[in-house]
Amino acid sequence: MTHRTKLRRGIRSLVGVAAAALLVFGTLNTGAAAPAAAIGATHQPISGIGSSWSANALQQWIRNVGNNYGWTITYDDRGSTAGRQGFADGSYDFAVSEIPWELKDSDIVDPRPARGFAYMPIVAGGTAIMYNLVVGGSRVTNLRLSGETLTKIFTGVVTTWNDPAIAADNPSIALPAIPIIPVVRSDGSGTTAQFTSWMRKQYPALYTEFCARVGKANCGITSNFPFVQGSAFIAQNGSNGVAGYVAQEQYVGAITYVEYSYALNSGMPVAKLLNAADYYTEPTAQNVAVSLLGAQINQDAASPDYLTQDLTNVYNNADPRTYPMSSYSYMIIPTRVEGRFTEDKGLTLGDFSQYFLCEGQQQAEVLGYSPLPINLAAAGLDQVQRIPGADPTGKDITACNNPTFSPDGTNRLANEAPFPSECDKRGATQCADGTGGAKGSTNASTAGDATAAAAGQADAAASPSAAAPGAETALDPNAKPIVVNAVPTAIDPIRRLTAPSVVATVLALLLLAGLVVPPWWAKRRRAQAAGADAGAATGAAAEPVERPSRTPAEALRNVTARVRSPFTRRESKSDASGDHTP
Amino acid sequence: MTALPEVRTADQDAPRSLAARPAGADRTFRGIARGGGTGVLLIMTLVGGFLLYQGYRALETRGFEFVTTEAWDPNSGEFGIAAVMAGTFFIALTAITIAIPLSIGTALYISEYAPPGIQRSLIALVDLMAAIPSVVYGLWGLFLLQPVILPLSQWIATYFGWIPILSVSDFDPQDPLASPTVFTSSTFIAGIVVALMISPIASSIMREVFSQAPLGEREGALALGSTRWGMIRAVVFPFGMGGMIGGMMLGLGRALGETIAVYLIISPVFVIQPRVLEKGANSISALIALRYSEASAFEMSALMAAGLALFLVTLVVNFGASMVIARSRSGAGAEG
Repeated sequence: MTHRTKLRRGIRSLVGVAAAALLVFGTLNTGAAAPAAAIGATHQPISGIGSSWSANALQQWIRNVGNNYGWTITYDDRGSTAGRQGFADGSYDFAVSEIPWELKDSDIVDPRPARGFAYMPIVAGGTAIMYNLVVGGSRVTNLRLSGETLTKIFTGVVTTWNDPAIAADNPSIALPAIPIIPVVRSDGSGTTAQFTSWMRKQYPALYTEFCARVGKANCGITSNFPFVQGSAFIAQNGSNGVAGYVAQEQYVGAITYVEYSYALNSGMPVAKLLNAADYYTEPTAQNVAVSLLGAQINQDAASPDYLTQDLTNVYNNADPRTYPMSSYSYMIIPTRVEGRFTEDKGLTLGDFSQYFLCEGQQQAEVLGYSPLPINLAAAGLDQVQRIPGADPTGKDITACNNPTFSPDGTNRLANEAPFPSECDKRGATQCADGTGGAKGSTNASTAGDATAAAAGQADAAASPSAAAPGAETALDPNAKPIVVNAVPTAIDPIRRLTAPSVVATVLALLLLAGLVVPPWWAKRRRAQAAGADAGAATGAAAEPVERPSRTPAEALRNVTARVRSPFTRRESKSDASGDHTP
Repeated sequence: MTALPEVRTADQDAPRSLAARPAGADRTFRGIARGGGTGVLLIMTLVGGFLLYQGYRALETRGFEFVTTEAWDPNSGEFGIAAVMAGTFFIALTAITIAIPLSIGTALYISEYAPPGIQRSLIALVDLMAAIPSVVYGLWGLFLLQPVILPLSQWIATYFGWIPILSVSDFDPQDPLASPTVFTSSTFIAGIVVALMISPIASSIMREVFSQAPLGEREGALALGSTRWGMIRAVVFPFGMGGMIGGMMLGLGRALGETIAVYLIISPVFVIQPRVLEKGANSISALIALRYSEASAFEMSALMAAGLALFLVTLVVNFGASMVIARSRSGAGAEG
């Protein structure tokens, strides 16, 4: 009698405690910010790989958080293709890529990885056309190119600088009869993908003809610039490689496609590109901001390509202030604890992401990029919540001081962007002002040019107006501020029931049921039996004889038999959920 | 050992077996030495086996075309090592051509001409050259050497352009506006950098064999009235010939596998491009370095197959070198 009751009580209280624990775990897990099953405890070092297009911004942010908060983040700018590959095979914690997996119209099959991932925009910018051209001993800094001429240069149709096509864009430059040396990327690069995507969309005939000439069977967007046999093309590896090559003093005639920041850093000019409104523009932060108002962002939060871009309308944006080859760069973040990625790493990645999506954007312009508009910054901050281990507290987006934010939700940077001066219009005598990292005007003396080039970065940093010299006077008085469609988009909170919490809650309920139901059921059965056996008096004598003969082991078997299924399941469950307990 | 030999009769007269019982220290040493030797062989076999295993898929798909195709696009199924293997040899041979006079001169000066006081520091200096990381050589070649070497390339192309391998297509010496970029990123520039990297090892092997030339023969030559240069030609060179060839071949083995410096300098091409002064070069190891981080599973297999080809070629070159060294007079004593 005493044995049996004690044992029963013990087991019952154990099951009760377990059920309570599971219930608490299950409900808290869903109640609190869902993905933060556990916020990382310490800022563990993380490593990333990918795009060299956005590397200048990323490296600066990494230095900032390293100096201010002591977080160790390493970034390897080996190109977007290497980034996607390195993330997919789990050897890096995050990647940065200009293009997503399974890009539409790509020339290769690039399947999405098994690893859980999400895209998060990090910064905007323009793919600049950086060149090295010297006429009569002084550097040309005001070259202008139409899209068609540029495509012809990089498809090997136009091969000398004095080609009539280039001369038509540049009436006031005495172009030399030297060969054009197109410098392309030798590694798999998102910059190449963005550039070929633009060429393919805008000048399909030229691009198709180029594919046929280089023997490329699939004429899609490519990350590996095709090797052009017997041409003047040079292939260099990484954005630093191509920019470093073009910047060499001796290599007059070289031209490459690279992010604007590389031109600023190497003190080289960039070509002004003709936009759909017949103005030649430079990829300044404002121009990029205006251009990207035309970008179509995937707003379907359930899509694996959520937040990725379609740039067709950017290429043909009719605003005179746009730069056609503007785009966003994306970070690929892990959404599951897998492989070497832990919650502690998630904490570092989450906090770092919140830093650059918020405060970091203030520096974008100085670095040669363009800050994210509010809708993408907000969407990015929501994506951060999907990183396991990230701090769920979040950021107050209004306190970020992002230059694109305005109280009415429009893109301030784009609204305030200066209109191009009249000399930038097609056909007119071209402006003499310098571009990119070479701010000296083309007619200036060589010495002045050099100092201006050296101070290029400082210039660009000084103030937004310095980036577009003469902009104030050139502003069209009739121009109205363009209404901007950068309305903050409400994005569903990514708070969902996680599998462990659901399982835990269900288990807890089962256990509780197992605890409550059997005694109640037994009592009822006993009551029924008592009612049925009321007449049989002998039965009352038989029972006391039977009871002492039961051993504790039998009793246990009896009890466990009743609660067997919850028990066994609870064990397997506790194994599975062990990883998620803080 | 101390026991006296037994007295044997004539019919028992057979050679006594001389079973030496090595002491514990000997046995341990022999075990370590054997283990080390076997370990090296085992590792080599495993490396080869690993490359074959990883590269089998690509080799199976392409078959013999893997050796004859001049392209590298594994994702579309069109790839082969003809161009990159040829490029590897062009770079290595250019490097060897430059390294031979450089390392023979260095070795001779140190072992024969240098005053005894500075000999030691010169040896240390050459060894230090071997200790510089190859990425440093590469960056130096890319940013410092390349711009200043272009006029030399241009000069060679202008006056020796009639030699096919020194010609440069699309280069007109009469054209004052010709761009020097046609000479950048070439086999020649990569070869110069690699030559500087292999010279230290080649010259230290050569110095070693030169210094082993027998003193008696040297003195004999001098006593017969030869000059120092005559003595070197009559005694040191014939004695050290094996070491010289072997040293160069070891250098060639290293040149074939040189990666980062080449990777930084070249502009990769996928055709057999034998004009060494002209832009565009390639090598297997540079190709692997360029592509491995972004390779799909199949492309990785193709890269491993290319690596296997390089492994086999390097193995042949190195075995050849050690055979030459072992057969020579200087090497026979040293068991090269």
